[in-house]
Formats: sequence, structure tokens, C-alpha cells
Amino acid sequence: MYYASATKISSFTTIRRDRVLPEPGEVLVDPGDRVESTQVVARASIPGDFRILAVGRMLGILASEVQHSLQTELGSTVHRGDVIAKREGLLGRSVSCPIDGVVTATGGGRVLIEAKPLPFELRAHISGHVLAVENNQMITLETAGALVQGFWGAGEESVGPLKFLTKRADEPLEARTIDASCHGRIIVAGMILDEEPLSRAEDIDAQGIVTGGLSPELLSAAKQLPFPLIVTDGFGDFPMMKGVFTLLKDHEEEEASISGQTETGHRARRPEIIIPLPNREPPVYQTQHAGEFEPGLRVRAVRAPYAGLVGTILDIPQFAQRMESGARVRCAEIDVGQDKPVVIPLVNLDVLR
Amino acid sequence: MPEDRRIGSILVVDCGTVMTKALLLDRIAGEYRFVASGEAPTPRTVDGTDIIKGIFHAVARISHVTGRQFFDEIDDLISPQVTRQQGVDAFAATVSAGEPLQVVVTGLVDDLSISSARRAAAGTYSQVSAILGGEKSANLTDEERVREIRGTRPDVVVLAGGIDGGAERPVLDSAKAATLACAMMDRGKRPTLLYAGNSQLRRQVTEIVGDEAELRVVENVRPTLEKERIWDARQELQTLFRQRKMHQIPGVATLRAWSPVPIMPTAQAFGQLIQYLWYLGDPASGVLGIDIGGGNTTIAAVFDEQLHMTIQGGLGVAFGGGRLLEERGSECIACWIPELIQEHELEAFMLLKGIHPASIPQTDLELWMEQSLACAAIRGTMEIARPGWKGTAAQVYPDLTPICDTILISGGPLTRVPRPGQAALVILNAVQPIGVSTLILDRYGLAPALGNVAAVKPLAAVEALDAGGFTNLATVVAPVGDTADPGDTVLRMNVSYEDGGVLEVEVRRGDLEVLPLPLDQEAVLELHPAKGYDVGLGGPGTGGKRQVSGGMAGLIIDARGRPLPLPSQPAECRGQVQQWLYDIGG
Repeated sequence: MYYASATKISSFTTIRRDRVLPEPGEVLVDPGDRVESTQVVARASIPGDFRILAVGRMLGILASEVQHSLQTELGSTVHRGDVIAKREGLLGRSVSCPIDGVVTATGGGRVLIEAKPLPFELRAHISGHVLAVENNQMITLETAGALVQGFWGAGEESVGPLKFLTKRADEPLEARTIDASCHGRIIVAGMILDEEPLSRAEDIDAQGIVTGGLSPELLSAAKQLPFPLIVTDGFGDFPMMKGVFTLLKDHEEEEASISGQTETGHRARRPEIIIPLPNREPPVYQTQHAGEFEPGLRVRAVRAPYAGLVGTILDIPQFAQRMESGARVRCAEIDVGQDKPVVIPLVNLDVLR
Repeated sequence: MPEDRRIGSILVVDCGTVMTKALLLDRIAGEYRFVASGEAPTPRTVDGTDIIKGIFHAVARISHVTGRQFFDEIDDLISPQVTRQQGVDAFAATVSAGEPLQVVVTGLVDDLSISSARRAAAGTYSQVSAILGGEKSANLTDEERVREIRGTRPDVVVLAGGIDGGAERPVLDSAKAATLACAMMDRGKRPTLLYAGNSQLRRQVTEIVGDEAELRVVENVRPTLEKERIWDARQELQTLFRQRKMHQIPGVATLRAWSPVPIMPTAQAFGQLIQYLWYLGDPASGVLGIDIGGGNTTIAAVFDEQLHMTIQGGLGVAFGGGRLLEERGSECIACWIPELIQEHELEAFMLLKGIHPASIPQTDLELWMEQSLACAAIRGTMEIARPGWKGTAAQVYPDLTPICDTILISGGPLTRVPRPGQAALVILNAVQPIGVSTLILDRYGLAPALGNVAAVKPLAAVEALDAGGFTNLATVVAPVGDTADPGDTVLRMNVSYEDGGVLEVEVRRGDLEVLPLPLDQEAVLELHPAKGYDVGLGGPGTGGKRQVSGGMAGLIIDARGRPLPLPSQPAECRGQVQQWLYDIGG
């Protein structure tokens, strides 16, 4: 049986990431260039706001009369407050422009005003070098460093030094430990079980949060945060996996690039923490391939009652076994450091690579 | 393609959103038999699904079992068959992986043009991302309509509304708003406009759209208040799905090179099989097929020889739970769970399932959550499908499910349940069949494959089906009527077994009972419904005899009522659901 999912946790690996503009634009770097995480590597113009003004209705005139009432021409630049149409006479009225923009269409008694396109700047997000540039829209960056894929995340991207606020991987984050020193930092904690630390981190302008477990009651609050939040292990009182806690701890105060973007539909995207380590010789780049389950693989259980449990595959019995729910499925025997191995369906295992 | 009589072995693959299945059919002792199957997760990446890798993994399982080599050293399919251990004579594929067509529907009246346009869209893998018009959004300004279309970035805007010769201005306004939205988007990203409204406005709509967008004109989906004509719009949307979505999936080009017949959307192949099953049964009844997967829910129904497809793209047990929570609230799922569950717990479960879509429940609670999600997804799909069946001979009661001889159940979430009664209960709660129906389980996921094989070698599909590809889950007897009080007798029934034994049963209103009738056994039912109660044998109070087959879950009597009543108090509801699970052996 080929495994369905794998989580990459590596203290040092070669990482490639595509940076893509939402619309084709101008790429500011060339292959081979070195880039810093906060450096703008490309820019584009994205469509701005617009307004459709029902001028005929607003002035109480026929659609055919609107053209005569216009105080501006098609293609003209207009500013907020400008009078764009007027009805003369005793019952005179006027229509003011609600936004800065350009009159781009008229007809049917209506006027369309489109704001100027908005400038969009794409930052490198990770420090490294440019591997390739495609179609004025995509840049492939490469860096060497530590990589931890998360379980779930919210928010976009940010960059900042890691700051540990719990001593242990199984310790809940307490709001009182979040002080001014967390400003601009990415807070790392064993788990988060109440909302107060989230509000406090927001107040202090943290750059992000990385936690092992997150109480499911906090999902809505996590999605509202102005910075990314990454859950590495699961929803509930899950401690952060020891290996991940130690790996991140080894880089405390170092700059990390985190992305909370998670996609669970037809496309799969996992949140991640990247810590670039540019001063070491990078290993050869390897793409992630799904392989077969085999004894010796380190795995993590993803479903109850063993969710979050980490161990090593001891054996994969040939025949299906019965679960608590009554289902009969192929399983693996996992050594989790207890007297007896636990038996978990293969499809409920996430391979740790 | 004309049938090739030399075709022996056939490899069929179904590339699903979550799992890829491969099946090998071959001639054994002069007849086609299902030889082996393999299954593997469909790898998903940030760029979408990698269907070829999923196929290699799934076919590797068949190679492991049969020792047959299917691919050469450059990963090309070996076809035709070289020896019985190398290659296959034919290859066919169905695909449901990939993103659904994103559709915005504009129309005037919820129960007329909008409802018909939605059903037209549901004929292919699509997701209706916005409905502009109808009661909820009748007062939207042009700006709001444009903003909605621009914001949702659909692949298609279906412009419906107005019976032929009917309403004009609101239909033209919708066309103007859609055109304006297109004009404000990059040319390469503009949606196709599909005009399916008042046919007398076609010229004006064509003039409005001009060259701002691609316009396709089809028959009005609602030419009169009584008539629905969605076939034309459906065909066009299916074509758009194939062109814009299915053929763009990386790897589909390779499948097209391997296959002598066109690659088919899984739902279409499933529909073909349901149509075949209908020809085998009573033409006055219908046949229903339910296929629920990780990413989509499909209902294929055949009444009066006509196939009705209803697909909810992006709504399956792995993906789509969040959408259900958002659109219908947690209660639509929680009401089927016999334990108290908080909304955030459900949300966390849906996210977990989306992150690890191939994972399965190990505990009772997670099993109930998954089955409740399946139930809610099927119910939601039935709501869209049911109005389209009105007027068919099998639909005796306008707001209830038509009488169906056979209900085929396909898709891992229901075919791999630990106890067969659980699958039966999900179907009873979601579909609410009436009369006497046989529930058939597609345990090996053969249905789409056999529907597709029929295109390559019809005989192979027929023989594989006859060889027992499907398993009877249960026979259900569901009397309907509303004249009895709870506890009153609504049906008296004699069950005459093959061994001569007779069981006399008195069914009371509200009962859910399972009578013994094991798989591979038959019995004759003598049904005597109470006055005002209908068991599908000729109207209320009319009884008769029916020969029925046994199944994994036995003979189920469902006298709970239609539409199925659920207690309004959550605690009472949980107790009731628990009781039903107990009654049915779930």
C-alpha cells in the first residue's frame, strides 16, 4: 500500500518554492541572483475597486438623457467628490464621484468608474537564490535550511525570529508570558488551549505563532489573526512533537519564514516553517515521492484514538484487522516506546520524512 | 468505436479525487470475469492531482496479485496483450479527480428558472458558487452583481430566466451585468456566458455580450412554467467541463493516448450503468444510483427510460464538509449523530478529513461523524435532484422519492462500513425510499468501471455484472401514509421463506425493524397495508405479493414515515438516532 501523506521534518535540506504573481507583471530578479526574505522580487498591477452609478435613476431622468447630463467624458480621470453628472433647473441635482478613478463605460443610464489598478509587490519570503523565472509571473527560489511542515495553518506568510514561550513541548502557552519582547517575533509554544494568548499576541504585534496543538474551540479566533498561525500536530491538547520542538529550539532567535496557507481540496498545500541556513553546503535537491509503507519508517497517527502518536513501523501484517469501529483494514504495528506495539490502519498514518 | 471481438483483457481505472482504483477484467472459461483490483491514494500537490502516479500505484497492486506486467520500461501501457502475463488488450478510464466547473447562476424565480439552471449545472462536475436572482438576491444592484461575478471568478455564468415570450428586462439586466463583469476581467480569465433564458431575447443578449465574452446559446431551461428543458444546457456544461477542467488535468492526455475510447467523467459512466440496470427491471419503477466519494456526490436516476444526473462537485466526505457547515449549519450533520457534538468539534473533524482525505474512522464517534456527513451530502443532492423527477410514472407522491426497484450504493464511505446496517440506515435517512426496494452495494467500486467498459466491450460489462460484481445489502419495505397514529398498525405482512417457514409480522407506525433474510436467500412477501397506506403495489390500501432477495442487512421494514420526522429537541433527536442505529444493527 502506498502511503497517502507524508510530513517533511528536516534539520537541513534543499528547499525549492515557487513565488507567483496574481497577474503577469514585472520580475525584478534574474536566475542566480541572491535574494533576502523581505526583498521585493516582482510586482504587478491588480484590478482595483469600481463603482456603477445609476445616474439616470439618481437624477430622475431617462437613460437616453444621461449622456447629456454627464460632466465628464469616457476615459476621463475623475476624483472623489467630482460632479460627474448634473440635472439643471429648479429641481437640479448632481451625482458626485465616490472614488478616484477613470470613467470606463456608460450606457443604460449607468456610468462605470474604475479605480486605478493597485500595485502589488511580491516578496521573496525566503532568503536564497533565484533558480528560474517564468512568463513574467513565476519565480522559483532555492534555499538550504531547516523545514517543518505543519498539520494545519491559518493566515498568510511572515518572517521573523523564533521566540520560545514554553519550556516544554507539552506546556500550554499562557498569556502572561507574552510581553513586549514578542513584538515582531514568531512565538513558539507547546500548545494553545485558550483564547487569551491569541489576543495578547495580536496586541503585541507578533509576527506569527507556531504551536503543537490548538484547541478546536479556537479555530475561528485563529482564522481572524492578522498573522499566520501554524499547528504542527493537531487539534486538541496535542504537545508539539519532540523532534520538531528540539529542531525549532536549536534555531531560537534565528529568522524563520512561516506560511499558514493550507489547502485541503483538490490541491494540497501544507503550512510550513522554513529556517534558511545559507552558510552550509546544500544537499542535493530531492522531490517528495510517495513510497510504500515498510518496517522502519517513522510515522504519526492522524486519527483518534491514537492521533498525534509517533512511532516506528515494526511490521505490516498481510491480513486485515478489526478496528474499534468494527471496520476491517490493513494495519501496521507501531512501536511507540511502550511494552506493546499499537495497531493502526495504514491509511491513518502520516510518514515523517 | 465498433466492438472489437478480439478484446480479451481489459484494464479499467477510475481516477478519483482521493483514491485511484484499477480493475482487471479478462475472459475466463469463455466469459468475462472480474480478475483483480487495486487501489491507491491519488497523490495531491499544490498543482493539483497527479493521476498518472495514482494509476501506477493502483495497477502495481494488481501486478502484485496476478504477476502481470502492464507497463514497459518507459512507463508506457503494453497494449495489446503480449501474453497472459504481459499487457492488456484494452484500457479505459474514468476521471472524477480535478476541480469542478465553477458556475454562477442568474435567474428570476427560485423554483423555476434558478432551480432548473441549478439542475442543468448539476449534470456535470460543477459547483454553483453564487446564485444571482430569486428571493434572496432579487434586490441586488448591478454593482453587487458585477462584484459577485468578478469576485467568484467562475468558469461559466448560466444566464437563465424568463419563460419563452415572458420577462425581458430583468433577464437583459442580468446579461448586461455579466457582460460588464467580463469586460472588467482579463480576456484570458473571462467566464463563458451560457444563455439559457427566454428564447425570444437571444438576439438582444447576443448584441449585449458582443465580443466581451464567449457566448453560447442553448434552449431555455424553463420555456414554460410547467416544462423544464435542461438537456441542451447540460450537454454544453458537460462539454465545458471536459474542455476546461478534465482535459487540463495533468496526465489525462496520457490516458487519452492509451484508451481507444474517450476518457469519461466517472459520473457519466456511473449513469450509464444505472441506465443499464433500469432496462433489467420493472419499467414502471425507477432505478437510483448513489455514489459518494471523497470529493463529489452523484445521484443517477432513471425514470421512464430517461437518465437524470445530479452531481454535487466538491461535496464529498473528505472535501465539502466545511461548505455544508457554512451553507446549512452544523445541525444538518449533527442531527444524525447519536452523541452530543459541538460545532467546533465538527469543524475540526472536517478539517482533519480534508487534510488526510484517505484516512478512516477508528472510533464510533468519528464513524458516526463521517456517516452523518455522507447522509447530509446525499440529502443535499436529493433536494436538487427530486424536483427534476416530477411527472415521472414512478413519482406517485410529488414531494417524496419516486418508487425505485433498485438503489445501487457506490463509494467507499458507504461500501466499506463496518456493519452493513449502517450503510442501509444512511440511505434510508437520506433517500427515504417508498414501497419495496432492493439496496445493492457496489463493494468493489465496479459501477463506474462497468459503465465505462460497456463502451469498449458491452459483453464484458454484462458478464462481469452477471458474475456477481455487486452484493445485495437489503430489501426495504417502506409503507407511506399519514392516517395512522403512532403505534397503530400500518402493515401486516407474511414472509414465506424458501425452507417453507412463514413469519407473520405486524408493522406499526414509527417502526424500524430488521427481519432475517440472509444473502443469497429469497422469500415471498405478502403485504397487506392498512387503509391509507401505500407499499407501491397499486396505491393506498392495495397489497399484493412480491418475491424479494435477502441481503447483508436482511429485510428492513421502515415505517418511520415520509418525509422522515426527526424530533425537534436535540437531546430527543440523539436518542431517536441511537434507537434507529440499534434497531438496524448499526
